[in-house]
Amino acid sequence: MKADEARATAPPIEKEAEPPPFLGTWPRLYAAVLGWLGLMVLLMHLFTLRYR
Amino acid sequence: MSGIDWIVLTGTLLAIVLYGMWRTRGSRDLERYFRGDHRMRWGTIGLSVMATQASAITFLSTPGFGYEKGMMFVQNYLGLPLALVIVSALFIPAYFRANVYTSYEYLERRFDLKTRQLGALLFLVQRGLSAGITIYAPAIILSNLLGWDLRLTILAAGGLVIAYTVSGGSPAVSLTQKHQMAVIMTGMVVAFAIIVADVTKEIPFTTALGIAGKMGRLEAMSFSFDPHVRYTFWSGMLGGLFLALSYFGTDQSQVGRYLTGASTAESRLGLMFNAVLKIPMQFFILFVGVMVCLFYQFTAPPLLFKKTALQAVEASPRAGDLRALEARHTALFEEKREAVRSLAMALERHDDGAAASEGQRVRDLLARDEAVRTEAKDLVAQVNPAVRTNDTDYVFLTFVLAFLPKGVVGLLIAVIFCAALSASASEINALGSTTTVDLYKRLVRPGQSERHYVRMSKLLTAVWGALAIGFALFAGLVENLIEAVNILGSLFYGTILGLFLTAFLLKRVRGTAVFFAALAAEAAVIALYLSTAIGYLWFNVIGCALVLALASLLQTVLPAGSDRAPGGNAVAPAVGGR
Repeated sequence: MKADEARATAPPIEKEAEPPPFLGTWPRLYAAVLGWLGLMVLLMHLFTLRYR
Repeated sequence: MSGIDWIVLTGTLLAIVLYGMWRTRGSRDLERYFRGDHRMRWGTIGLSVMATQASAITFLSTPGFGYEKGMMFVQNYLGLPLALVIVSALFIPAYFRANVYTSYEYLERRFDLKTRQLGALLFLVQRGLSAGITIYAPAIILSNLLGWDLRLTILAAGGLVIAYTVSGGSPAVSLTQKHQMAVIMTGMVVAFAIIVADVTKEIPFTTALGIAGKMGRLEAMSFSFDPHVRYTFWSGMLGGLFLALSYFGTDQSQVGRYLTGASTAESRLGLMFNAVLKIPMQFFILFVGVMVCLFYQFTAPPLLFKKTALQAVEASPRAGDLRALEARHTALFEEKREAVRSLAMALERHDDGAAASEGQRVRDLLARDEAVRTEAKDLVAQVNPAVRTNDTDYVFLTFVLAFLPKGVVGLLIAVIFCAALSASASEINALGSTTTVDLYKRLVRPGQSERHYVRMSKLLTAVWGALAIGFALFAGLVENLIEAVNILGSLFYGTILGLFLTAFLLKRVRGTAVFFAALAAEAAVIALYLSTAIGYLWFNVIGCALVLALASLLQTVLPAGSDRAPGGNAVAPAVGGR
């Protein structure tokens, strides 16, 4: 029981500095994700124009 | 359903559930039961987050929407990637630093106990009601189309989800969701391939796209500022952003998914997985509906897809009126099929003039057929006012049952069940964990052993599951219940998001100010809902903005020393743990 309680109150897994596995830093990864969103908006806009 | 379909359905569901229970057996402490010992990798987290959001209705309503109105609904998801980036950058590090089991626990660390309780109670009310709908909505559709007993369907789905969620806790939910998503995507891809193969027996794929375009089904993006246009880039980015921010950042059914991550990096990557894939996935599901629409240009669709709605009319003195409407519907289908074939030929020989005129003819015929369908719905309502006539949710499954081969039908029914189970599991797991951690452990019985809290959380999860089943069993008694629950969610989501954004962004604001700001904002949102015709998606924005503004204002007028310093409770209370 004590082991259980010790684990429950153990410090959190803190690896905030850990970079993402690609693109080096989190801001770069976020920028890439938002770039992907922009690309999807552009592609869906072109798709709409093509078949309107 | 054939014997093969039953084998595929029961085999798929039981294999996933039993594997999940076996892999996650023996949880004796809260760390393992609620956070899976922080062992989940980003792929599992990503699929689990995706499965939590995608309920059975996603795979029934979305193709139906594509069939009736086309691709425009995809714009509702445009705010999601930006919201997930904000949650990843702001919310996840804060939750991991505070080492919390629930998102509301964080509110006590940052503000005070009463703010935590307010956040938890708002969540329990809103999610507690919608948990029943998550089970009821697919059960009513399956029972209508397959003739299954509604109560038995609800009890079977509810019983299954309670069994593995109570047994294995959060890790069982995540693990089963991973396999359930695999079944869901496999089923949808197989269905899409079969529909495309059927459609291309009549016309080439590129011509089919041209026809769908002329029918107005491929308009995926609109930059219109016209307030009467319901789905636009702007409404999707702004309304969708706030809705997704509140849902992914504060709703315990989602927060509980990424708190199982082995590190902040794993949890963040799980969310980025969704940020990248969610819009293409929704586009694909809507596109399946568009392909079903094209299929029904060459094969006669039923007058109404909800066949039980018509059965009441057939047994009434108005059966003659129904037969007349069916005759008009059939004649219009024959005429429309010829018009679509002429349109296809015009598109293939690149005759723009003929394509434009034939396209207009097809649209006119579609409008006339829709008018006949509306007359049929009115007729159903006249015969039995209690019957809901909206048949959008029935389109895809009607097609599956009528035209997909044996075995694949079982797979597609398994898709619907997997989606229902995965969404329900996250909900009752979140309801159980919030009640245990934020109410029972903090207020009712602090200082008990880990084993005691695990037993209690299993009991509370089972109670919430039983309540969800009970609610689902009586859901049919309340008219427009699904819409009512959606509205209820939007009335609370803005305020909850406001609490958390104040915590993260307004460092000088303390507990008392934000607590009363949230109460005032919630009262204002409810007053606006009762007195205006504002679309309910906007209440997310209004509630959040009001909390932020009022909390700042109140903090300046409240007397100094009326509250403890912000973040003053960064260490868990000595008695009662968390």
